[in-house]
Amino acid sequence: MIGSKILLVDDEEIFADNMAKLLQNRQYKVTAVYNGESAIKALEKENFDVIVLDLKMPGMNGIATLKKIKNLGLFTETLLLTGHGSVESAIEALRMGAYDFLAKPCEIDDLVEKIEGAWRKKDQAWKKDMEEKLKRVVESPSDAFKLFD
Amino acid sequence: MDQDLETRKNKQYSRLFRRFIVLTMICSLVPLLLAGWAINIHYSRFAKERMMKTLETRVEYHKKIIELFLKENRAKLDFIVSTHSIVSLTKNDNLSQILKSVNSDSWTLTDIGIIDENGDHLAYVGPYDLIDKNYSNTLWFKEVMEKGSYTSDMFMGFRKEPHFVMAVIKKENKRRWILRATVNTDSFCSLVEDVRIGRTGEVYILNSQGIYQTSPGSGGKIMMQAPAFEGDIHDGLEFRFLEAFDKDEKTRKKIVCETWLKDPKWLLVVSVDEKELFVEVGHANRATLVSLHFSALMILVVTIFITRHMIFVIKKRDFEVEGMNNQLMEAGKLASIGELSAGVAHEINNPLAIIMTERQLLLDAEKRTAITDETLGEQFIDSLNQIGTQVLRCKHITRNLLKFARRTRSVIETVDINRFLIEVITLMEREARSDGIEFTSSLDDSLPPILSDPSQLQQVFLNFINNAIDAHKDKGHGMITLSTCLSTDNKGIDITVEDTGSGIKTKDIGKIFDPFFTTKSVGQGTGLGLSICYSIVKQLGGTIQIQSEMGKGTVFTLTFPFEPPGDLMKHG
Repeated sequence: MIGSKILLVDDEEIFADNMAKLLQNRQYKVTAVYNGESAIKALEKENFDVIVLDLKMPGMNGIATLKKIKNLGLFTETLLLTGHGSVESAIEALRMGAYDFLAKPCEIDDLVEKIEGAWRKKDQAWKKDMEEKLKRVVESPSDAFKLFD
Repeated sequence: MDQDLETRKNKQYSRLFRRFIVLTMICSLVPLLLAGWAINIHYSRFAKERMMKTLETRVEYHKKIIELFLKENRAKLDFIVSTHSIVSLTKNDNLSQILKSVNSDSWTLTDIGIIDENGDHLAYVGPYDLIDKNYSNTLWFKEVMEKGSYTSDMFMGFRKEPHFVMAVIKKENKRRWILRATVNTDSFCSLVEDVRIGRTGEVYILNSQGIYQTSPGSGGKIMMQAPAFEGDIHDGLEFRFLEAFDKDEKTRKKIVCETWLKDPKWLLVVSVDEKELFVEVGHANRATLVSLHFSALMILVVTIFITRHMIFVIKKRDFEVEGMNNQLMEAGKLASIGELSAGVAHEINNPLAIIMTERQLLLDAEKRTAITDETLGEQFIDSLNQIGTQVLRCKHITRNLLKFARRTRSVIETVDINRFLIEVITLMEREARSDGIEFTSSLDDSLPPILSDPSQLQQVFLNFINNAIDAHKDKGHGMITLSTCLSTDNKGIDITVEDTGSGIKTKDIGKIFDPFFTTKSVGQGTGLGLSICYSIVKQLGGTIQIQSEMGKGTVFTLTFPFEPPGDLMKHG
């Protein structure tokens, strides 16, 4: 979706910056960070639609970052990028709730396709959540403040 | 180099063999032989001493028997004279009766007679005509008249035959008469010779002058002088060891045992061939030595066989250990290469990813701002496309490297091999046909299913079939045959992939499973496909064999067990 907000997390700064430019050329709003801690800080500050997360990073790696992302309880979907090609890590990440993974190097079009898929999933989940909340507000108006706070 | 190594190894084994034999001989044979000989010598000596002791006892006993005989007969004469008057004795009838009584048990006296103090016969009973003879000048008469009783040596006398007499004096009415009896020479000689030992043994009696009183048997007669008679009168028995000539003029060692009788002073001589006396000792000796040496020989033979077998087992173990070491080294090499590959693959992927993004940025820029120069524009796009192609090629290589490094956990399922192969053939048929290659199959319907990992099997067979297709590149046509059958040990299934391609050189056959080894041209293969297949097959408990002939084709035979290794079953 044009205008979707993407958070790009990769310790390879050149790769992260280039990928951000490529996605911006395709009308995405991209924020690039270079480590897991910065990614969590960015997620706490603003909403993102899709996170593109590198698996292998020094310090907090992709899996640890993903765990923290899940703990934040956001609707954001996560795509994993793996240069190591470790299928086991990618499968573990998928089990932990990542949407999909891509092996580096990848074509930009392949990444865009996966981002779109992730955005659609995120959008569906968000809409479903909203519907449920509205239903509960209709059933119990006093809960509106709690739900939408 | 291999030949030298082989020769050196064989020399080492030969040296080991010789050392074992020598060591065994020193530790077992030599003590055995030494102990055996020592025991044998000791036994022989002991046995000979016992034999000599036995001989001594026999001679002693025999001496007593002879003395008893003589004593007994003298006692008989004493009894006669003490119980009969001279008047009674001079009657021939009485004398004849007395002789009969004396000889009732055995014929020990030939004749008996009464002789007066003048030496004249008063009465005589016997086979000779001696009644008119006068003995006053005979030695025995003089001796008996002096001593009262006398046993003579052998002498010829009036009867002109060798004989000896016993005589006792009877005093009656202030006059003296002699009762004289002749001892039966044959009976006496038989008694003496009764103790003869073996064929070569001799027993005889000599008087104090060395005159034969009985016949010695070999050479010498009664009344002849014995050769080499020393005449030392001694108590007890004496042994002498002589060398004598037999009738064949051969030298023989003799053992001579001598003992002096008391009365008369006669020398009892018992001689026997040393060999004959110790014949049983000799037999035992020989039997012992034969057994000992036979045992030693058997020990040597068995030692040689056992040592040979041991060297064979050692050789076999060495060979197996060498094989295992080689495998371990190979596995270690592969593991190192794997680890290196994983590290390299990861490190390369990131720069490749950056190259791709830079390429894409250039393509995006070109879309926004078209290059006016047509040639430059075309070159620009071509070069970026080439960059893309080469990056993807690198990605393919690193992916294979990572596959090689990765230890993928097998997922074990029941696989119908025939159906599985048909699926693989169906997958590859179209591609093969486009290269002019036909598939055939010969699948054994009776094969049971196997437990294995289908996705890994697929990877393996696709790889082999791809290689088989590539092998026909120069020919443009050919045949790939897949067949299945029970393995020779009936514990698994053999699957053969046979092609009619260009074949593999003999020198390359040993290397085709090595990582990065390829016969394809640059850019056509990574050299990892067969290495990966080899790892997978080994992991699933199988084996791969190759037969190839240049220009004719190659046959790969893959054998998979009905069940994979235990750890795979547990964790797969």
